[in-house]
Amino acid sequence: MAAAGGLRRGRLWRGARVRCQHCPPLRALQASTVLRRVSDEHKKEPFTSSSQQHFDSPPAGHQPEQEPQGPRPSYTGQGGQESEDYESEEQLQHRILTAALEFVPEHGWTAEAIAEGAKTLGLSVAAAGMFHSDGSELILHFVSECNAKLSKQLEKEQKLVQLGEAEKKPIDEFLRDAVEARLRMLIPYIEKWPQALSILLLPRNIPSGLTLLTSMIDDIWHYAGDQSTDFNWYTRRAVLTGIYNTTELVMMQDSSPDFEDTWRFLENRVADAMTMSNTASQVQSTGEAVVQGLMGAAVTIKNLAGLNQRR
Amino acid sequence: MHFGFQSVTEEERREKIYQVFESVAKKYDVMNDSMTLGIHRVWKDILVHKMNPCPGTLLLDVAGGTGDIAFRFINYVRSVRQRQLQRKLKHHQNLSWQEIFENYQKDKFNSLGNSQVVVCDINREMLKVGKQKAQHLGYSEGLSWVLGNAEELPFDDDMFDVYTIAFGIRNVTRIDLALQEAYRVLKPGGRFLCLEFSHVSNPLLSRLYDLYSFQVIPVLGEVIAGDWKSYQYLVESIRRFPPQEELKAMIEDAGFFKVDYENLNFGIVAIHSGFKL
Repeated sequence: MAAAGGLRRGRLWRGARVRCQHCPPLRALQASTVLRRVSDEHKKEPFTSSSQQHFDSPPAGHQPEQEPQGPRPSYTGQGGQESEDYESEEQLQHRILTAALEFVPEHGWTAEAIAEGAKTLGLSVAAAGMFHSDGSELILHFVSECNAKLSKQLEKEQKLVQLGEAEKKPIDEFLRDAVEARLRMLIPYIEKWPQALSILLLPRNIPSGLTLLTSMIDDIWHYAGDQSTDFNWYTRRAVLTGIYNTTELVMMQDSSPDFEDTWRFLENRVADAMTMSNTASQVQSTGEAVVQGLMGAAVTIKNLAGLNQRR
Repeated sequence: MHFGFQSVTEEERREKIYQVFESVAKKYDVMNDSMTLGIHRVWKDILVHKMNPCPGTLLLDVAGGTGDIAFRFINYVRSVRQRQLQRKLKHHQNLSWQEIFENYQKDKFNSLGNSQVVVCDINREMLKVGKQKAQHLGYSEGLSWVLGNAEELPFDDDMFDVYTIAFGIRNVTRIDLALQEAYRVLKPGGRFLCLEFSHVSNPLLSRLYDLYSFQVIPVLGEVIAGDWKSYQYLVESIRRFPPQEELKAMIEDAGFFKVDYENLNFGIVAIHSGFKL
């Protein structure tokens, strides 16, 4: 039986055979790589969205039998670096989800949208069964895509500043722009976004949703130049998370042209946060002075009362 | 090769199994209900739920002679389709009468949204029972019956979206061949689903289950279907069938990806699922 399985696999993994000789645990390899029918895949695949191209293998041209050098690159969400014959299971799932986003405005965050996405990749509609039927994976995929896009954008801006081609923005403007840029990514899906939020709030999905949110907030603060390691680290993140979430809620209710009201709300909240932090530091310094004064008074009283031991 | 707990040649096994199902075909559904107390219906429902087929899905149901999976599939797709159409109608609220009429026309002709189910069974008698049942229950659209062996399916490559085999793979003589055929006929991205008796891991429950299978089922078989031997075979073949992990490995060997299984009722039954990528 095992021999038959091996033979069969030999036939199936035409392209992979070269590599199989070097890696004895066949099943492990099989579980992590998929033989891609490169030639017809490229013909079949319509380049429906620009974001999808991003995940496609490099254009055909180098030899397909080429042996990849070194260890396989870990999963980074981009199919580009791998030898074009192979694609890990995750990368394929990634491509399916990316293709599915196009159908979200019509079908919502559902298995149907995923099925339509699979269809555009030349796969069977049954491939949607790989994902949980509540669509949570599609939503989380979208969120992490947006986060990646945002941090890339912030990185680019930072580089421009470092090169001296752009001026460094004051912190409030930076935060406002970053949050606005991130929220603008929701606009194509705004009709279906409440549905997504409700799915993300299911107990099962809360941990992964929260991780993505905090990492996004972290990224924004990182590029804002925050290097605090004290208690401020927490307050800053908490404040920005609050701003982001409330603005998101406002945005869903907003019917003004180009979400003007939302951006005004955002600007006000950021300004509030800034004044709050100023007030906080003022309060802190006043507090310190008061405490010092009180301590001095206490010592004086102690001395007057003759309670001081060191006489 | 084994037939229940006896050793036989491959040919003998095929013949014997054919005879078993030939003799139980007429009483098959009644026996299923009485042996599992009707729970097999729930298992089959869960299978179709797991499949979650959308309109347009092409299903191949192998060893599905009496049409249990096929009818459930048709019902499921029909209801999904209806929900979709309703949503669509609600979406554009101001439709002219003409449009509503057209929509209903389309709906009538195409209540399955081009979904098709092909029932394939090796046993003529089982197919006959299935066809009669379909006629009786009024299923005709999107349903076809094919006599064929799971080890060499009479279909082209890359044809189906989903392949199901419910309580059938146990009776296939060369399981590896059947799995390879499943892989062949599925489209890329297609799904393999297998519902089959499996192994109970809990020792106490396993004792009870054994007692029930060996002491009660053959008796039921004798009383209801007048056939002790066939049901004796049935129970024995369940014990000879590879446990969950082993079957999973076999499915992976056939080339499927993302293979996993779900135990139902502590492992009395398991659903294995895999994808062709």
